[in-house]
Amino acid sequence: MDQLIQHLVNTLILGGTYALLGIGLTLIFGIMNVVNFTHGALYTVGAYLTYLAVAALGLDLFLALPVAILGGLLLGALIEIVLLRPLRGQDIDTTMLVMIGAGIVLQSGTLWIFGGVAKAVPSPFPEAPLQIGPASVSWLRLFVLGAALLLIGLTYALINRTKLGLAMRATFQDADTAALMGVNVRVIYTATFAMGSALAAAAGALLGPVYVVHPQMGGPAELKAFAIVILGGLGNVTGAAIGGFILALAEELGAGYISSGYRDAMGFLIIIAVLLYRPTGLFAKAERVG
Amino acid sequence: MPGRFTLTTAILLALAAATGARADTVRIGVNEPLTGAFAASGTYVVNGAKIAADEINARGGLLGKTLELVIEDNKSNPTEAAAVAEKLITSDKTPVMMGAWGSSLTLAVMPKLMDYEVPMLVETSSSGKITTSGNPYVFRISPPSALEAETFAPMVSKLGMKKVDFLVLNNDFGRGAATDFGKMLKEKGVQVGLTETMDQGAQDMSAQLAKLKGSDSDTIMITSAVDQLVLLFKQMAALGLKKRVITTGGSQNPDQIIAQAGSAAEGTMHLTTFLPWLPEKTPDPKATETFIAEWKKRGFQFAGVTESFRGYDGIRAIAHAIEKAGKAEPAAIAKAFWSVDFTGLNGPIRFAKSGPAGKESGQSKPDVYLIEIKDGRVVLPTL
Amino acid sequence: MSRLLHALPPLALLAALAALPLALGSNPYLLNALIVTGILTIGAMSLNLLLGYTGQLSLGHIAFFGIGAYVSALTSLGFDVELGFGLRAVHEPWPAAVGFVLAVVAAGACGYLIGRLSFRVRGAYFVLVTISFAEVVRLVALNWVELTQGPLALTNIPAITLGLPGLGTWTLRTKLQNYYLVLAVGTLCWFVVARLVGARFGRAMRGLKENESLALSVGINATRTLTVAAVVSAAMAGAAGSLYAHYLRIIDPEVFAFTTTVGMVIMVVAGGKGTLMGPVVGGLIFGLLPVALRPVMAPEAQWIVYGLVLIVILFVMPRGIVPGLAGLVRRRPARAVPVLEASPEAPR
Repeated sequence: MDQLIQHLVNTLILGGTYALLGIGLTLIFGIMNVVNFTHGALYTVGAYLTYLAVAALGLDLFLALPVAILGGLLLGALIEIVLLRPLRGQDIDTTMLVMIGAGIVLQSGTLWIFGGVAKAVPSPFPEAPLQIGPASVSWLRLFVLGAALLLIGLTYALINRTKLGLAMRATFQDADTAALMGVNVRVIYTATFAMGSALAAAAGALLGPVYVVHPQMGGPAELKAFAIVILGGLGNVTGAAIGGFILALAEELGAGYISSGYRDAMGFLIIIAVLLYRPTGLFAKAERVG
Repeated sequence: MPGRFTLTTAILLALAAATGARADTVRIGVNEPLTGAFAASGTYVVNGAKIAADEINARGGLLGKTLELVIEDNKSNPTEAAAVAEKLITSDKTPVMMGAWGSSLTLAVMPKLMDYEVPMLVETSSSGKITTSGNPYVFRISPPSALEAETFAPMVSKLGMKKVDFLVLNNDFGRGAATDFGKMLKEKGVQVGLTETMDQGAQDMSAQLAKLKGSDSDTIMITSAVDQLVLLFKQMAALGLKKRVITTGGSQNPDQIIAQAGSAAEGTMHLTTFLPWLPEKTPDPKATETFIAEWKKRGFQFAGVTESFRGYDGIRAIAHAIEKAGKAEPAAIAKAFWSVDFTGLNGPIRFAKSGPAGKESGQSKPDVYLIEIKDGRVVLPTL
Repeated sequence: MSRLLHALPPLALLAALAALPLALGSNPYLLNALIVTGILTIGAMSLNLLLGYTGQLSLGHIAFFGIGAYVSALTSLGFDVELGFGLRAVHEPWPAAVGFVLAVVAAGACGYLIGRLSFRVRGAYFVLVTISFAEVVRLVALNWVELTQGPLALTNIPAITLGLPGLGTWTLRTKLQNYYLVLAVGTLCWFVVARLVGARFGRAMRGLKENESLALSVGINATRTLTVAAVVSAAMAGAAGSLYAHYLRIIDPEVFAFTTTVGMVIMVVAGGKGTLMGPVVGGLIFGLLPVALRPVMAPEAQWIVYGLVLIVILFVMPRGIVPGLAGLVRRRPARAVPVLEASPEAPR
């Protein structure tokens, strides 16, 4: 029983970061119809920016976080303007392949610059965990959960409460009509991609101090993000948020009670099962077809 | 027409690369992971190897020629490691090699040694299979996990271990350690509980740790490399998991653990094969100090020496073999390995026969030390 | 006359490839690179059937390659596996050639199953389902240690032995023998693809790629067409995987690496998807590029070059090198080569 409680607490902590990983990816797909294969690389870049801010600039973690998010925002905007804007109107396969190429360049670039030795980002929180009944949880991870939920909330508010969000939603519905209504679709695309990238970088920045910062950290994170996004339905932000928690639960229980070796398989098995029964994800809106 | 140009260039360049093997050098192939999961460790080993090569060249080289290391990256991938061995042997014509860090990598290379009859010095791998499968071209200076377990056996009762769980990498390195230590512990009357595994790239082990937290064992033995150990110690602290921890495998790099895991590493114990913190207690204090001084002079982190000394000793052992052979030819070097005898940084290096008769592999028996992290420093535990 | 003309470039290429070892002499390193390149090129040819002719971007293609490799290796090595409920599966080693056949069959069967499952979805969903499938297969290979040895790799896989009644047998141990084996299998695969896309079936595939609803309205059975393409494609990938296993004589779960799929996709896209020559040209270039780059730059820099080349090709020659060059050489008879030129005008 105690073990189950610990697994559930872990689920909550892990799920928050998974949700953060998922929404950036799903946002870009929903609005731009682009599968962002640079998501994992941007996650890695976010983590390295935090490391640089803490190690080289001497900032503390709370200040390093906005630095990483800003970096992700700028890098995302750059990728969109240089690579995606000229390809607008090309089929989704072409943009996917270009994104794969960009992902390879970014990932190998971080390895080239920083080398293969993992870096640690010091945590400002006490080492001793918080005890909740039989379960324990570290203060750092509680902070990460809080920050992730805050970022998810901000993304929501931005989409649903602001003019930019309105324009994004209009573009999501129908880009041509939105353009006719005076929405500058090009700006919306850049803003969307930048935002999605910033969220990926934020996830990396938050998890960097929890794990270690490593050039290969993006690969598994990206695959998880894909699983989460399919679970929730491509393009569905709420779905991705819930999908993050479902994946975390499946992994925790799978590793705890089935076999730790198959922990990472859980996400993919879920994807296959979901697509067998509900090909457009668990929370897909009726009008979205793949 | 970029396509046609590239193809022509590719073939030309490859041809140029393939006609290497200059006559005025003695070449040693180095097959290490420089990218991928083990990139950090492989790089340390290569840097240690370079120190040994420079030292030998400063003393006039080998057989009157310059010693040249041909360093290739096996990308932490077994198939790639086999391909690299093939390249080193057939294209670079290296008569002897050092490699390939991990057990899975080394096992992948071994059939190539048989095919081409070229010897290899194994500097890091710990799987028992490497020296028991009947490959007469393998000479190992790192301890297999059975040897490590054997050296650790006398300490078991002093530590008061009653029941042990294992958390190991899901590969030959990890599973091999769990099997060998498990066997030794059972013989000592210690109970063996859970054996949990983790993938080498895994970052979040909280699920496995939650399971271990719930078990009634008093000790967790962990086999993995340093990056994952740092994560494990942090996550154990976060879960409030307070059992005795002993790590095995010789790739722990305690200084990096102290620097990166901080107080989460307090009280953890590690079986290592080198004592750079206490050079006066090593078998050859002077050599240890020289090596560490040179390592620091080159601007490498002190933390790396627990890996890099193996690269250093490995190249030195190969150089001894080449000198004894009197010529840089595979068969002569393979034969000369049996007469290598000198004091390495972690004990005498001389090869004992291991494996099926007639095609034995060579296994050297290095010292194994149990160290503890206390107040952010490495100490020898009082037993 | 025009038929002969179009048969000329492939025949010339085949002749050149057959003569290449003579020109190289006995350079085992280059021969090794050519063999591995050839095997990956067969993989790329099989991927082209899906990606180029039906327009389905399968990023899990490596799964079939890996399944072929493991089936073939395990057939020839034998295994003894506990299945649970007291059941054991014991298999004595069979000849490697049988492994090759079983690899083709098994991969084809997996292609059928996965095809039925994943062709229910299109576009991004299809891509992500195929990636997931490959990951699951990789994790099974990694974790079912009793069968696959997990990360310890299956080693000492025997080389393929060919036998003809009355003529004796020979085991393909040397590089030269393996080179011609790969060339022979590759040529065979070429003919299979050429037959397939040249026939009525090929038009059905291209019809689906260009305009699925139109194709459906003229009576093309989408699921059946795609499934047949998937089975043939997977079987060919399985054959390539089997060659890989028996040539390298070691396989580990890394054969399922996503980057290998990316490599094959690059070969197809750069060479020219939907053309017969495309994957071969792309395969040769991108298979040998690492060999050329290895001595001049660090591994991570090589990957940066790879990524950049992929991006540049997609921008500069979106249809690939072969159609691009063909367009340069002769602009006129573009319509007269339905087999070489899939769909010049992209839909949408």
